[in-house]
Amino acid sequence: MANVTHAVFTSGRQVREALGLLAQGGVGPEDIEVRSSIPLDEESLAPAGQRLRSRVPLMAVLGGAIGGLGAYLLVALTSRAYPLVTGGMPIVPMMSTAIIVFEGAAMGCILLTVATVLFECRLPRLTWRPGPFDAELAAGKIVVAVRGKPSPDWTTGALATSSPGAGVPSPDAGGERT
Amino acid sequence: MTRWGMVIDTDICTGCEACIVACAAENNVQSVGPDEAANGRAMHWLRIEREYEGVFPDIKVRFKPVLCQQCAEAPCEPVCPVFATYRTDEGLNAMVYSRCIGTRYCANNCPYTVRVFNFHAGDWPAPLDRQLNPDVSPRPAGVMEKCTFCVQRIQDGQDRAKDEDREVADGDIQPACAQSCPTQAIVFGDLENPSSRVARGGRSNRAYHLLEDLDTQPSVTYLKGDDWGGINV
Amino acid sequence: MASTSEGRHEERILRPLAGLRPGLVAGSLITGALVALLLYSWGYQVLNDIGVTGLNRPVFWGFYITNFVFWIGISHAGTLISAILRVTAAEWRRPITRCAEAITVFALAIGALFPLIHLGRVWNFYYMLPLPNSRGLWPNFRSPLMWDMVAINTYLLGSVLYLLLPLLPDMAILRDRALVEKPGTLKALFYRTIAMGWRGTPQQWHSLEKGIGVMAVVIIPVAISVHTIVSWDFAMTLTPMWHSTIFGPYFVVGAIYSGIAVLMVAMFLLRSGLRLEGYLDNKVFNNLGLLLVTMTLLWSYFTYAEHLTLWYGDQASEIAVFNERVWGRFASLFWTMVVLNAIIPLAVLPFRWGRRPAWTAAVGLCVLIGMWLERYLIVVGSLSVPRLDFTVGYYQPTWVEWGIFAGSFGLFGLLYFVFLQLAPIVSIWEVREGEHHADEPLTSGQPALRPVSEES
Repeated sequence: MANVTHAVFTSGRQVREALGLLAQGGVGPEDIEVRSSIPLDEESLAPAGQRLRSRVPLMAVLGGAIGGLGAYLLVALTSRAYPLVTGGMPIVPMMSTAIIVFEGAAMGCILLTVATVLFECRLPRLTWRPGPFDAELAAGKIVVAVRGKPSPDWTTGALATSSPGAGVPSPDAGGERT
Repeated sequence: MTRWGMVIDTDICTGCEACIVACAAENNVQSVGPDEAANGRAMHWLRIEREYEGVFPDIKVRFKPVLCQQCAEAPCEPVCPVFATYRTDEGLNAMVYSRCIGTRYCANNCPYTVRVFNFHAGDWPAPLDRQLNPDVSPRPAGVMEKCTFCVQRIQDGQDRAKDEDREVADGDIQPACAQSCPTQAIVFGDLENPSSRVARGGRSNRAYHLLEDLDTQPSVTYLKGDDWGGINV
Repeated sequence: MASTSEGRHEERILRPLAGLRPGLVAGSLITGALVALLLYSWGYQVLNDIGVTGLNRPVFWGFYITNFVFWIGISHAGTLISAILRVTAAEWRRPITRCAEAITVFALAIGALFPLIHLGRVWNFYYMLPLPNSRGLWPNFRSPLMWDMVAINTYLLGSVLYLLLPLLPDMAILRDRALVEKPGTLKALFYRTIAMGWRGTPQQWHSLEKGIGVMAVVIIPVAISVHTIVSWDFAMTLTPMWHSTIFGPYFVVGAIYSGIAVLMVAMFLLRSGLRLEGYLDNKVFNNLGLLLVTMTLLWSYFTYAEHLTLWYGDQASEIAVFNERVWGRFASLFWTMVVLNAIIPLAVLPFRWGRRPAWTAAVGLCVLIGMWLERYLIVVGSLSVPRLDFTVGYYQPTWVEWGIFAGSFGLFGLLYFVFLQLAPIVSIWEVREGEHHADEPLTSGQPALRPVSEES
């Protein structure tokens, strides 16, 4: 496994400085992983060059359309397959069908949204393994992991601001990309 | 096209309740016993309602048999989630026992409160089981039932007519209540046949419908006149 | 970043999760006994037919439908609190979102159970599902009960996902702690599985927050539609005092009302039982108390409008029901409902002292009972007085119905006790995020609230 250097920080500002140094040192975003226990203004914590994208809003609308259409087809096709007159109503009344379509759209939207979130987060992650600073992470610190040989360009500068004891180059630790 | 209907003349109904007994016998309606009946669970498919007119000592009682009105726009039909009740081509409100899951929604939406529910299954200990009509299935617990215009007799009458290669004549098919009424207050027939007794009864100037303002378009027409005594329509 | 005292607060949240605690175990056992009662009563009913209840003609619907509407109403607590307050970016929601969302999920599950219990032949309930079969039969989508099925299932699925999505980061926190403190235990494995490998990278947070945002927006119309559709079980009939256009909004308001009431009671119990004063503090109770009194006014408005319209119209079949409810057989229940739902809340909540935790919880309990009575009056009160009064009805619930009724509260309690021992009842990451916003204010200049430190 590749060499992975970890650093533990206490504030987003420190992380941003460290990321700046890493960018200057020529480390690509695919070798950097930032982890935090709360969403700290994610844009600023992403390694330079990594754009955060989410297709969730689009997928939500798409899911709603698919769900609504599916619901309409369910009602219309099954009612017409075995048409039974009840109370003089039409076989596929618009007003009551609309209710099913609404709920179907909501169901489709919810399901596709959750599926998209899981997909974009690459969950469930079967190859996850614990890392050396998980306890600090759980306590509220921010952990930055850098893969590759540590270079003096960024180690002294970046790690100077991190917690003491951090920054140990450790082989393997499952530094995963997302 | 056939459309079954009924005319009930409240001027000549004596309230004898022979129709109720005949209906129970014909349709295997269970007898729930005094305790359950006191709790409002009697299973009779039709009931005689009494209207009192006048003040003592000039009281007059008017008897009115109330049964399933087989409405053309039945409020009980659309609310059943499993299609256990719907309107047939011949104008009957069908009740499918094997499909009913017992939500009892139809009974709530019947404005005439004519539907009854099998809170327990019927029990006919020997030798009472020998009185059961083999043409009608007894219902399990948890299933709704109501007057069907003796659909088994309608079916039988139509089958006979087909066997004998003729049309069903007016008066051929009689539900148990019509058959047993001593004053012929209950008359049954095809409303689409303009010369049938029910069609003529519907055109009478004494004709009215129960809860007319709800516009459920019932197939049962009641006759009520200001003075008693008229038998023929 | 957060202060060091935060660690001490969080220990409070995490304490119920650390092994078996006597209080929670005792609670689980007591509620478990009630669940046993529920199962016994229901089993007795299945074996001895639905006739073991007090139902009859014309009161075909009784306790079970009352409870169905009651529990679905309670389920509006979580969604509306956590979704609406999230959408409006109200910071004070942070400590209460999870306990509210849990109430929603469990109340919904129990509410969805009652239509099954009330069926005459429950083993045939699958006739309502659109499954292909050899007879070519399909369910009747024109029926409000089918609308119920679709709506409640959508809401249930949505609420479960809306509870689980924000739970992921907390599960990751618990996983990381468990793997350090108690590796190899069943709990560690449980958290590791549920966390699904969550790492907390910016991309993951970005996706998650977008997803939660969409869910919050979508779940609001779903919640409103659910209780509207439940109300349409009544409003679509011709039964006097059911067939009312106001029922949709009326029931939604009633649902939010009873939902907030349950939330108050649950929060009070959590606060005292788990010593969570730092999170479920006076400010949260104050705000919820204001929300509760707003719903009191709304509910009273709708109730008055409904009754005024009927009384003024003076239609025979409707006035018959009205008279029985207001002056007749149901009068004692009706006026008790008015006192519990309107008079007591309005006498207590408008005042500052009335919005302190114990008082709001007491008022919440009154509202709970009052709202149950409201549902009972609507269901049984209208059915007892049919149009053709020859079949007037009298309904007396039996021990089976009481047993299932009591058991349903036990089931809710049991589910909640189990949940308390598996997941943090206060959302750790959301509270931390709120503190972070307080330390580094948001760019919009909106000051963030922070949890108040220990106090009496």
